[in-house]
Amino acid sequence: MNILKSFLTLMIATLSTFGFSQSIDSVWVEKKTSNLSSSYISSLIYPGARLGVEFPVNTIYISKIRKSGKAKDFTKDRFVTANLSWYHHPAFHDNVYLSAGWTMRRTKSNGFLTEFSPEVGLSRTFLGGTTYQVDDNGNVSIKKYAGYYYALVSVGGGIGYDFSITKRKPFSVFSKFNVLMMFPYNSTIYLRPVMEIGLIYKPINFLSLKVKSKSRKK
Amino acid sequence: MKHVIPFVILFFVLTSCQKEKITIGTNVSETFYLDNNGASMRLLVEGNTASKTFLIFVHGGPGSSSYFYNTDYISQNIENKYAVVYWDQRNAGGSQGNSNGDHLNLPQMTEDLKKVIQLIKYRYGQNSGIFILGHSFGGLLTASFMTKDDNQSMVKGWIFADGSHNYPLNDTLTRQMLLTVGQQQLALNRNTVNWKIIIGYCNSHTGNFTFEESNQLYAYATDAETYFKKVKKINLATLIDYDPVQYGWPVTSILFNLNYSTNASFNRDLAKTEFSSKLGVVTTPTLLLYGKYDFICPGGLEEDVFNRISTTDKKIVISPISGHNIMLQDESFFCKEVNAFIESHK
Repeated sequence: MNILKSFLTLMIATLSTFGFSQSIDSVWVEKKTSNLSSSYISSLIYPGARLGVEFPVNTIYISKIRKSGKAKDFTKDRFVTANLSWYHHPAFHDNVYLSAGWTMRRTKSNGFLTEFSPEVGLSRTFLGGTTYQVDDNGNVSIKKYAGYYYALVSVGGGIGYDFSITKRKPFSVFSKFNVLMMFPYNSTIYLRPVMEIGLIYKPINFLSLKVKSKSRKK
Repeated sequence: MKHVIPFVILFFVLTSCQKEKITIGTNVSETFYLDNNGASMRLLVEGNTASKTFLIFVHGGPGSSSYFYNTDYISQNIENKYAVVYWDQRNAGGSQGNSNGDHLNLPQMTEDLKKVIQLIKYRYGQNSGIFILGHSFGGLLTASFMTKDDNQSMVKGWIFADGSHNYPLNDTLTRQMLLTVGQQQLALNRNTVNWKIIIGYCNSHTGNFTFEESNQLYAYATDAETYFKKVKKINLATLIDYDPVQYGWPVTSILFNLNYSTNASFNRDLAKTEFSSKLGVVTTPTLLLYGKYDFICPGGLEEDVFNRISTTDKKIVISPISGHNIMLQDESFFCKEVNAFIESHK
């Protein structure tokens, strides 16, 4: 829990710093659609999949004037995300985890994007083999659905390309590197690096929300 | 209805691996788990289950893993004759659980081993012949098992390989061996800088060792065998050479379990534990193996077991080129001796 607390404090502090360093020119409310994401996740050779929804929270449109006089435009989007993920590690375990996250995405005017997304969640593993119990009299029985619940924290960052900006196609592609941490795992933690390659689909009207948008010029 | 279908599919995917599958054959590989008191311990059975003869590896550490013993050489030279059971003890290797550190102690692990044997017999037949092989800390665990109640009646043979059944005696023997061999090496002008440090430490710490002194002796003993060229070096790099990805090792689980168990408080209790005084009850055939260059569990431990057990069916053999990991450092010698022992007692 201490790790989680420290992490959230750090996140809030970082966001606050961003907020104070820039001047807000205008603020308005706009209706934005939620996004759907799906991806293939893998840890080395072990496969998995992930489905998610991104709920927009706010958008900041930033225009910076460079020394050369050229304008540099980019967008900062903030989403609350909900994800359902699964991976399969043969003979070890299958892991299904539900997570909620905070995605910070920065998209340039040419469509390239970078993002950082911390998540917290709950994991349920299913052991990778028949699981037995033996009582004190030596009687053996099979334990059904054997596995464990773990608290989960994930941190990930990646790059991508938003086709809606330059090609007017309603999707983005991305690749991310995540680190999962599950606990308490045998009274300690379990870490797992996860690579993710996926697609974000932006429907015209799906779970639309009114969000606060800002425009800044520097 | 269509929204339910993906969840039904996911449910079947997740539970399909847990369906019971018991294979009797000559080239078997199957993983299952034993759930006991807060831990789900991984068991990998490989090789010839049709032989009805099972060799259970009881790994060292505490907190190491049986993955490390599952070499190609053992597959080709033992598994072709008998089935080998690679058991990851609680809080070790691929074993899983939640907050279970309170159950990490020797009596609990002794009970775990008993249940592992009961489970093997349940799966492969009550007439299965079981041999247990304790390596390093596994020596202490198997000694605990063999001297408790009537446990030894469950096994046909006990193999003690570079093991320790008496930690205080272990420290004394390690110190003596470091001193004796160190002085010989100094006389030969080999690794003088390192040996001088070790000898200096041994001369200033003469007995009645604290836990910290015991750990320092262990560290020097680990280094000492690497000063001999004829001893094959075993370290993280050589273990990674086994291709853990190909064999599906849960690498981070192995590392975090090892770190936790190595530093767990029960190691302080182990430091005072001995079974020399109880070994007289052992009447089971016993094979004792050790490496000439094993400073961690010196051969004096095997000799102590040999002299104290009551069985007359016992043998002690020494590998002339091995350190603390005889099954990895002198594979042909190890497999030859283990196979001969099992063959004559199965």
